[in-house]
Amino acid sequence: MFLQQLINGLTLGAVYALIALGYTMVYGILELINFAHGEIYMLGAYVSIISLSFLTVTGFTSKSLILSLLIVAIISAVYSAAYGLTMERVAYRPLRHAPRLSPLISAIGVSIFLQNYVMLTQGSADKIFPHILSNGGFSMGNATISYLQTFIIITSVFLMITLHAFIKKTRFGKAMRATAQDKKMASLVGIDIDNVIITTFIIGSVLAAVAGIMVAMYYGLINFYMGYVAGIKAFTAAVLGGIGNIQGAVLGGFLLGIMESLGAAYVSSEYKDAFAFIILILILTFKPTGLLGESVPEKV
Amino acid sequence: MNNKHTISIISFIFLILSVTIYSGCAKKEDTVKIGVAGPMTGDQSKMGLDIKNGADMAVKEWNQKGGVLGKKIELLVEDDQHDPKQAVSVANKLVNAGAAGIIGHFNSSTSIPASAVYNKAKMPMITPASTNPQLTEQGFTNVFRVCGRDDQQGLVAATFVASVLKLKKVAVIHDKTTYGQGLADEFVKALAKRVEVVYYNGVIQGDKDFRAVLTSMKEKKPELLYFGGIYPDGGLLIKQARELGITIPFMSGDGVIDQKFVEIAGTASEGSYLTFSPDPEHIPGAKDFLKNYKAGYGEPGPYSIYAYDATNVMLSAIETAKNTDGPTVNKTLHSMKHTGALGEIQWNEKGDIVHSPYVVWITKDGKFKEHWKPGEAGQ
Repeated sequence: MFLQQLINGLTLGAVYALIALGYTMVYGILELINFAHGEIYMLGAYVSIISLSFLTVTGFTSKSLILSLLIVAIISAVYSAAYGLTMERVAYRPLRHAPRLSPLISAIGVSIFLQNYVMLTQGSADKIFPHILSNGGFSMGNATISYLQTFIIITSVFLMITLHAFIKKTRFGKAMRATAQDKKMASLVGIDIDNVIITTFIIGSVLAAVAGIMVAMYYGLINFYMGYVAGIKAFTAAVLGGIGNIQGAVLGGFLLGIMESLGAAYVSSEYKDAFAFIILILILTFKPTGLLGESVPEKV
Repeated sequence: MNNKHTISIISFIFLILSVTIYSGCAKKEDTVKIGVAGPMTGDQSKMGLDIKNGADMAVKEWNQKGGVLGKKIELLVEDDQHDPKQAVSVANKLVNAGAAGIIGHFNSSTSIPASAVYNKAKMPMITPASTNPQLTEQGFTNVFRVCGRDDQQGLVAATFVASVLKLKKVAVIHDKTTYGQGLADEFVKALAKRVEVVYYNGVIQGDKDFRAVLTSMKEKKPELLYFGGIYPDGGLLIKQARELGITIPFMSGDGVIDQKFVEIAGTASEGSYLTFSPDPEHIPGAKDFLKNYKAGYGEPGPYSIYAYDATNVMLSAIETAKNTDGPTVNKTLHSMKHTGALGEIQWNEKGDIVHSPYVVWITKDGKFKEHWKPGEAGQ
């Protein structure tokens, strides 16, 4: 039973970690907490259900399930990336030199706008993911790990490793790290800052879209306000690991998922959501830099 | 110059607003207003809209015959978002709008706080769906329901589990709402130690992940899972239970019996036992209702017919009382006998229906079917 709870927690944590990466990357570069990030995740889930329904109606899904899921993933990643890019252009770039509070308020505005926009265009009722996936799984003792859980964990870990390699090994990754350290110096040595920022938003949005699709498959039910709580939990995960730190976001995401799952099982399921926020308060009180974050002296 | 522009734009907006507000007032006609309130948006919107459609159909029929007291009837639809706070503000809104009576609310957790507001205004309220016993135990003379009570419902479920399925151990999960926890507690009470409750826990309504609770439950090896709550959570609960390899039967109440439950849970919904009133398809008086509703609004939901009957009773009472004065209408409602689409409606002094038969339904091939009727002992 402990093993089963651990598997449930790991799956949840993988999703939190994917969303948290978007928060932490944007924070690392812009020092902006992008509160609209959860809405991008919600948009990813919506687009996946809409495009999958379309493929099902045209009879494509019954021909090749894996290919159609791949098409759905690409459509929704592109769509979410476009939203992330537009969001940066419209709501954040004009405020880049404004006081730090202004882009934060702008982010909350974007979040409210996107929620209501989806509610008005897609209706307020829950959307249901088509029942096309197998319910089966592997048995380990008395625990069951479903194919979907395996898929979610493997996909997330693969994306995290890819992202890590991208940032550490490529030229562009180096430019990103430089920009995160000091925007002005980076631009002086010839790095196109705007380009780096846009790419950061695109990567973050794609990760959030993938998380959205996987959650739609996992729970089978989505709604227009799902991005809010997921966003706050992912933000907690990012803070827990040390905001701005990529490994920290992954660690924070998995830790949060596992703690939530074990908390619900052994302490009280009625206070499941409260665990995330208790953790947030404790971290902010006792170690504001997070588990892996280091305290950086104020930049001059 | 810029400033001047802003001022002129603002004053222009004000001008337009004041004109539209004024024209809104000017169009006022002399009508009898009936309020209908429930969750019209959000995850439970299907139930709210079912109630709205049922009431709407009744009002249209009355208007075709010339309305009530020689006036047209106007339906005021309000959305309480299944939120108790919102329900109170909606209730105040309906009282201020001068509604003659209320059809609603849907959830017990909204009906109970709202009933206090209506009671202050002495405005009659008939809920088509709130089954928590507490609603009619407050000593209010203006509160009625056309559905049954959870103590009756819990008893039927408990009898079925103990005497028909003959199980020894059950697990109970509820959604912590007035309705869900209330029903779960009535079920446990009615089991009366005949069956052991090996697991009892609450979940958060609207949560999407119940795997942690289900995993803890699985370890206790229950033979049946009883859920007190509404269909979105019920659907996800049983779907996730099946994914975790939990194969025990699932049982729940009237909040789950909706086609959406099957849509959410898919094949996992097969074989679920649900307590609800008998199938309207088998009630002779419901034939016309079903035909007309299908023509106007599509497939009826479980509570459409209740809202239709509730609206008809309310309007008949106003007609009999010959005015819309709250206390008179309340008195009329208490003393009247009405034959509706569901059969005869007659209330006791609390506002509960005198005779309320619950039966057990089963989900088969994605459809709900009547499965078991309690004998006299189960009543």
